[in-house]
Amino acid sequence: MTDLHGAIDAVWKLESAKIIAGLTRLVRDVGLAEELAQDALVAAMEQWPASGVPDNPGAWLMTIARRRAVDHIRRAQRQERAHEQIAHDLRRDGHAGPQDEHGEYEEQDEQDEHDEQDDTLRLMFLSCHPVLPAQARVALTLKLLGGLSAAEIARAFLVTEQTIARRVAEAKRTLSEHRVRFELPGREHTAERLSSVLDVIYLIFNEGYAAASGDDLMRPGLCLEALRLGHMLAGLAPHEAEVHGLVALMEIQASRTAARTGPSGEPIRLHEQNRGRWDQLRIRRGFTAMLRAREAGGTPGPYVLQAAIAVCHAQARTAEDTDWARIATLYQALARLMPTPIVRLNQAVAVSMAQGPQAGLELVEALTADPSLRDYHLLPSVRGDMLLRLGRHDEARLEFQRAASLAANAAERAFLLRRVDEIAAEEPAGATLGQAVRDFLGRRDLDPQTLRSYGQTLRRLCRSLGEATPLARVTAEQVTRVVTAAWGRAAVKTWNRHLSALRSFSAWAGLEDLTAQLQRRPDTPATAEPIGPARLDLLWSRADLPLRERTLWRLLHESGAPVSAVLSLNVEDIDLDDRRARAGRTWVTWRSQTALLLPALIAGRTRGPLFLSDRRPGPARTPADGDLCPHTGRRRLSYERAEYLFKQATRHLDPSGNGYTLRRLKPRDVPPGELDDAVRA
Amino acid sequence: MRYLMTTISTETTPAPDERLYAEMGAFIEEMTAKGILLATGGLEPGGVRVTSQGDEITVMDGPFTEAKEAVAGFALVEVRSKEEMIELARRFRKIVGDGVSEIRQVFGP
Repeated sequence: MTDLHGAIDAVWKLESAKIIAGLTRLVRDVGLAEELAQDALVAAMEQWPASGVPDNPGAWLMTIARRRAVDHIRRAQRQERAHEQIAHDLRRDGHAGPQDEHGEYEEQDEQDEHDEQDDTLRLMFLSCHPVLPAQARVALTLKLLGGLSAAEIARAFLVTEQTIARRVAEAKRTLSEHRVRFELPGREHTAERLSSVLDVIYLIFNEGYAAASGDDLMRPGLCLEALRLGHMLAGLAPHEAEVHGLVALMEIQASRTAARTGPSGEPIRLHEQNRGRWDQLRIRRGFTAMLRAREAGGTPGPYVLQAAIAVCHAQARTAEDTDWARIATLYQALARLMPTPIVRLNQAVAVSMAQGPQAGLELVEALTADPSLRDYHLLPSVRGDMLLRLGRHDEARLEFQRAASLAANAAERAFLLRRVDEIAAEEPAGATLGQAVRDFLGRRDLDPQTLRSYGQTLRRLCRSLGEATPLARVTAEQVTRVVTAAWGRAAVKTWNRHLSALRSFSAWAGLEDLTAQLQRRPDTPATAEPIGPARLDLLWSRADLPLRERTLWRLLHESGAPVSAVLSLNVEDIDLDDRRARAGRTWVTWRSQTALLLPALIAGRTRGPLFLSDRRPGPARTPADGDLCPHTGRRRLSYERAEYLFKQATRHLDPSGNGYTLRRLKPRDVPPGELDDAVRA
Repeated sequence: MRYLMTTISTETTPAPDERLYAEMGAFIEEMTAKGILLATGGLEPGGVRVTSQGDEITVMDGPFTEAKEAVAGFALVEVRSKEEMIELARRFRKIVGDGVSEIRQVFGP
């Protein structure tokens, strides 16, 4: 037997979905099912070298795995339900099995086959369940239904094998934590759940078709996996139009694989592709799937509409023959179902082809304010195309430059830069935005923190408007658009900080105020609402609080003094009898609870910081003398550490789950600052 | 990757019967549904041979006596690996009985 490993792997990939699905129905736990299936695979590797590959390797694996499952259930001696299942399976298993020479595998009647199909469909719904994050759905689907190993999935997605293994393990845990059942969704949820499955498959396809990052434009292996999954699903749910729509869409897109990249890997746009290199076999399969979708009927969903658009392109013998009016209509329908910015961008392209670039440009302009598109390279690229067709060459050139700077894929970036070069350059008038920003940030009269903050703002401006934009052409309207898209929903402080940066830049560059159309937002001081008494009682009643923490928190609560003042207290300043201590120019006072704890905390020390860190400082970090305890050599407890510990300890009390800040230990009745005044010496 | 599998009948190849048609039909259906089988068909025994030599092109009707073992059918298949192709060929041969299948990777389109 040559390359038995390869043969076993091939069998596994063809059969794993069916096997894992059948086992999951038996043991009701997809993680366990996969383990049992893997056990069967190990058995195959042990036995097949001697016995040869059996006649029906899939059935062989299934029989072994099912035996193990039954053993497992029997060993676990679980609920009655499981016993019934055992009885059923023993009946089904009969006496045939891999141990018998030339053994017969159980003949399956039609009912079983039907069950098997439903099991695979259930498994698809399970691995694409909405409780899972999208990435987990993808990994789990490729693993369980595609039979891919973690290493293979990792390679396709350019991540480490551990990442995929972790994603799969977490996904299985999530499924069991949420007690997701191995069942077909009820009628009222079918459409929603099915669309989740379709989305996962299309995500896999797109990851292969339009590799988002890296240097290869396509990873065809993933396209093939997605096509397989799509066909599998179409076989399992033949009456769902959307499934056939997805298959049609993927087939037709995949038909252009050979034509959509040039010799050095650069993308070739649809209308420039050599249609002779489109794979007619795939196109025909796409058309067939489209016919099935029509037969299934119903209102066309998003995948059927997208497939219909793909069909329009595939039917056109030349780019000029393309029925753009129909495509624009289809996009209009699609935009009603999925008003995503990407769909609307495509709609704009179709409209520009059907009605001219001006009409398209108007649709595109509406999208430039959309935050989700702010770093999407195709937006400036499409806009550049339309500007070019309108004869606005210098603007077009800037857009392509910006698109190139946003593109993550090396081949696409090179392509966009070539488009920049193709447009005859007009001399830029004066300094560019990029140069001005660099000069501004190179100033020496600002402190590093301010520069860092300004840099954030201005780099975003450059990314959004393009570094090569002449400074004189930057308008308040453009800045308004950028700022609103980028930080419209940011916190008040963030918003105001960016406005200040832009105002400072405008003044420095001698421009009119670029923030003229933007309003500063009123800054409400951060309120530190004191923690309520009930929650505090819970905190005090905890027995596991270390003495230092208990004392610090009691002291903060009873004194109402600023946290930094309390942390700065030294042992020599403590007046235990009068229950007060000097902190700089103010006094910190306390009451009975702190008074009970303090002597134990001081524990005979005569001077040095009252609150000490847990460890001695490392040799490289020698704190100031005043922050070092002469008795223990330990450092003063830092604000950060104290804050962290309090947050950790109060995480369960805080409804937001973040934990409280120390400032919130202030007593209810004393407004911040007032107490300080009252006790001022 | 795509493979073309051609099937050659030999002297011991059994004549097709009901069972073969049924099993083969189910197999083709399954493979098509999985998106694996792209195209398949049987081939007429004789055919026409077109030969070019120099400027001359000759057209000759079959059957061709020198070909004892004629190609009887083909399948164009899309798979992940050569091993997967071999596994499919193995299943196919189980159904048709004696004979030979040849597998070659298809480059292009």
